[in-house]
Amino acid sequence: MSTQASWTSLTGILTFLFEGSLSAIAVAILITFGVPVLLHIFFFRSVASPPSSNFLLLGPSGAGKTAFTTLLEAKSSPASKKSQTTHTSQTSTLITVTLPPSVPTGSNKYRSINDPSLKEATRNPIRYRLKDTPGHGKLRQTQGIAELVSMSSSKDLKTKIRGLLFMVDTAALVDEATLRDTASYLHDVLLVLQQRALGKGKSSTKRDAEIPVLIAGNKQDLFTALPAGSVREKLEGEIERIRKSKSKGLMDAGGGAGEEEEEEEVLGDDDGKGIFSFKLLEQVGIKVDVVGGAVKGDAEEEIGSGVRRWEEWIGMCL
Amino acid sequence: MLEAFEILTTSGVVLWSKSYAPVGAHVINSLINDVFIEEKVVPQNAATVSPVFKKEKYTLKWRRNKEFSLIFVAVYQSLLHLGWIDKLLENISTIFIDIYKDQLKGNRTRITTYRFDPYFEQQVRELEDNTGSVAEIYSAEVEGKKDPLVSSDNGGPPPPLPGFLKAQHQAALAGATSDEGTPPASPDTSRSTTPNHIITGKSGPRTSRRARKAANASANASSGDEHSRSRKPAKSTPAKKMRKWDADGYADEDDGEILDYSAPAEDGDAAAPAVEAVAQEDWGRRTGKGQFVLKELGEEVHNILDNADAEKSKDDAGSGVVGSGFNAIGGFFRNIVGGKTLTKSDLQKPLKAMEDHLLKKNVAREAAVRLCEGVEAELVGKKTANFQSVDAALRIAMEASLRKILTPTSSLDLLREINAVTAPTTKQHAPRPYVMSIVGVNGVGKSTNLSKICFFLLQNNYRVLIAACDTFRSGAVEQLRVHARNLKELSSRENVGEVELYEKGYGKDAANVAKDAVDYGAANKFDVVLIDTAGRRHNDQRLMSSLEKFAKFANPDKIFMVGEALVGTDSVMQARNFNSAFGTGRNLDGFIISKCDTVGDMVGTLVSMVHATGIPIVFLGVGQHYGDLRGLSVPWAVSLLMK
Repeated sequence: MSTQASWTSLTGILTFLFEGSLSAIAVAILITFGVPVLLHIFFFRSVASPPSSNFLLLGPSGAGKTAFTTLLEAKSSPASKKSQTTHTSQTSTLITVTLPPSVPTGSNKYRSINDPSLKEATRNPIRYRLKDTPGHGKLRQTQGIAELVSMSSSKDLKTKIRGLLFMVDTAALVDEATLRDTASYLHDVLLVLQQRALGKGKSSTKRDAEIPVLIAGNKQDLFTALPAGSVREKLEGEIERIRKSKSKGLMDAGGGAGEEEEEEEVLGDDDGKGIFSFKLLEQVGIKVDVVGGAVKGDAEEEIGSGVRRWEEWIGMCL
Repeated sequence: MLEAFEILTTSGVVLWSKSYAPVGAHVINSLINDVFIEEKVVPQNAATVSPVFKKEKYTLKWRRNKEFSLIFVAVYQSLLHLGWIDKLLENISTIFIDIYKDQLKGNRTRITTYRFDPYFEQQVRELEDNTGSVAEIYSAEVEGKKDPLVSSDNGGPPPPLPGFLKAQHQAALAGATSDEGTPPASPDTSRSTTPNHIITGKSGPRTSRRARKAANASANASSGDEHSRSRKPAKSTPAKKMRKWDADGYADEDDGEILDYSAPAEDGDAAAPAVEAVAQEDWGRRTGKGQFVLKELGEEVHNILDNADAEKSKDDAGSGVVGSGFNAIGGFFRNIVGGKTLTKSDLQKPLKAMEDHLLKKNVAREAAVRLCEGVEAELVGKKTANFQSVDAALRIAMEASLRKILTPTSSLDLLREINAVTAPTTKQHAPRPYVMSIVGVNGVGKSTNLSKICFFLLQNNYRVLIAACDTFRSGAVEQLRVHARNLKELSSRENVGEVELYEKGYGKDAANVAKDAVDYGAANKFDVVLIDTAGRRHNDQRLMSSLEKFAKFANPDKIFMVGEALVGTDSVMQARNFNSAFGTGRNLDGFIISKCDTVGDMVGTLVSMVHATGIPIVFLGVGQHYGDLRGLSVPWAVSLLMK
């Protein structure tokens, strides 16, 4: 009874605390040692956590996305040195791979080559995560584009996107149908990015990092492959045509009053006039690079030499 | 024979593969595209365990594992009828998952090297021998070769028992697949002293006992001992010895050796050292061969399979009174809290409700049932998320399934395609008019939708020619003439496009009229030719057969079928019959669903038609005016269906 009564008054509590009872001491010790640990965990998580390193890999079916991911995976694992054969994907996968130490990173851009801390980096190579998506027409909306939307609008550092790789098959681009397919996918992707960039520009200050885009021209080892410059030209021309026909096309059913303005959205400059080029997108902060490479076809020399330039691009984003 | 066997993940990585003959990657890719993604081909799995898919000259059978999202695919020539493929798929999936459980669970699934070849070889050999016709042919050959020699040799070798014979072929086959030229089967296969054994410890004594048994068996072979009759290849050891004994009539220099140990075998225990001596001198040149491993593998593999069977039967037996009581209570809580592994019985009721819901939305029964089956197959064995009820999980899965069906495989940008044809970018193709034709059942609104499309094209400044190829129903041409006059009036008012009607009266052959119209369009530099056809009942063979000729003559770039949103169950048959009416190699290119404004949210016809054929919906008719034509918005349709 007496102990219960003592809790009601301040002096009672104080008396209990200073009595030197075992439980009070235990609580005191717990707080003394626990708080610094908690504080450390809290601040370490929020401040010291490195910026996200997620990359999204998009592109039409058969461009070599899965082959690229398996190649990177095989490269970054010490055990197996042979990448597997691949088939059409149905689901996306997230892999964690390491950047080869020889590839320079964007964060080390201003350091001298003789900087001793660079050696540190060779010992623990930078890791980044790459998400491979299926490129089949039916799965693009639900997996590829949806993934892009969620990753680009995410506030969480763990899932935020750092860069976008759009893989194209440069050998098949000569074919009209493939080119149309590829370009329309790219158009949709860029449109999502543009909407994001424009929407953010209005509401808040420039807090979100830009998402750079790499158009990875795969299969450069083939005889019929187009060079990167030509790929760029072809895609720009095709997107221009898509942009034109989109602006004239029919509305979708069920479009209410609110949706109509979204339909008007055009890639590139607002009025949709003038020829489209990837340069136009730089106004809204989308940088598009076209770099050629080859997942397969690098003979006996060390594997993955064909994707070196893409890895360099990834390195510059990190 | 089996051409190839692959184990791949749904993310597209081949984990392990074995091919006996080069099979192009496109064969399996088309399986994935047609069956798994587009669901174009409905696998007919009425009788067989594994569904079948045919591509070119190959037949593919597959088996999916949801837990690890793996697909096991077997490819073989369609000419052959291999009855054991089902069993092979089942066994291989069980074995593979059992062996590599840990690797598959971890995140290093894709980098692990799977040394699965010996297990696979063992299974193939075993199953082939048990049921394969190949083995029978082989055995006939062997016997044919052997018999005269046997009779000419040492008088009375015991007549080969059926069990022994079988095992013999097994051994012979094994020999055939091995890369060295050494005689495939000799007693040393049973030896456990070889360095590359997997389970060295316990196999030693067992083998020698078996060897003894075998020796005994060979001594009194005529008694028809049943020991070696078992299907386990583990017991193939005695048989292999037996084979040697038989084969000595075949190869003379082995003769003495064999007699050597068949004689002491009669003494029982004394047999073992003799066998060992032979083995010791033999194994030196035999190391690294699959055969040593073979026997142990057989045991291991059978253990795995037996365990799997036991698990299965345990699961079946587990649903006793007490078990079901606990399960029911646990299941009830998990239904609320989530994290429940879904079973068939959990899904039964919600699925029925979902099916009824779909039927209420005017989805044809066939399509609704198939959708529900697909969702069920997807959900069984899955765990629900935290605080997710079964209904919610089912709803999400159904939504995803509907969205997947309705989403077109390729972009449906009609204007883009017209431009590509009328003003090609490359010099290879000469510009020509883009030809579209419209087919459908009577009274669904073919002419109305044609004029709506025409209006849309006129807005985009195209020169359009309308061809009246309904030469059958009275008033059809006049109807189109009215439309053409209206459209001309409208376009001249807005100063866009141009339209003209091409008519040849009634009674002519529609295909010829269409062909003339296309020629006329090309000569007069029209951009688009729109062909209207007579309405026809889809189950009238006589009327439908003329469509094939029509498709050949007019050769349209696009054939659209108009279907009413009002139609119910019949939509499936309509879509199917029209889709197959144009002869081989030509299908419909899209649907136009008319009268969508009259059904409210009962837009099930959309799903039924696409589900039956895998052909996308291009336009929706949503009103009486020329401008009431819309593209399909998949989220809109799905939300209406799930409301």
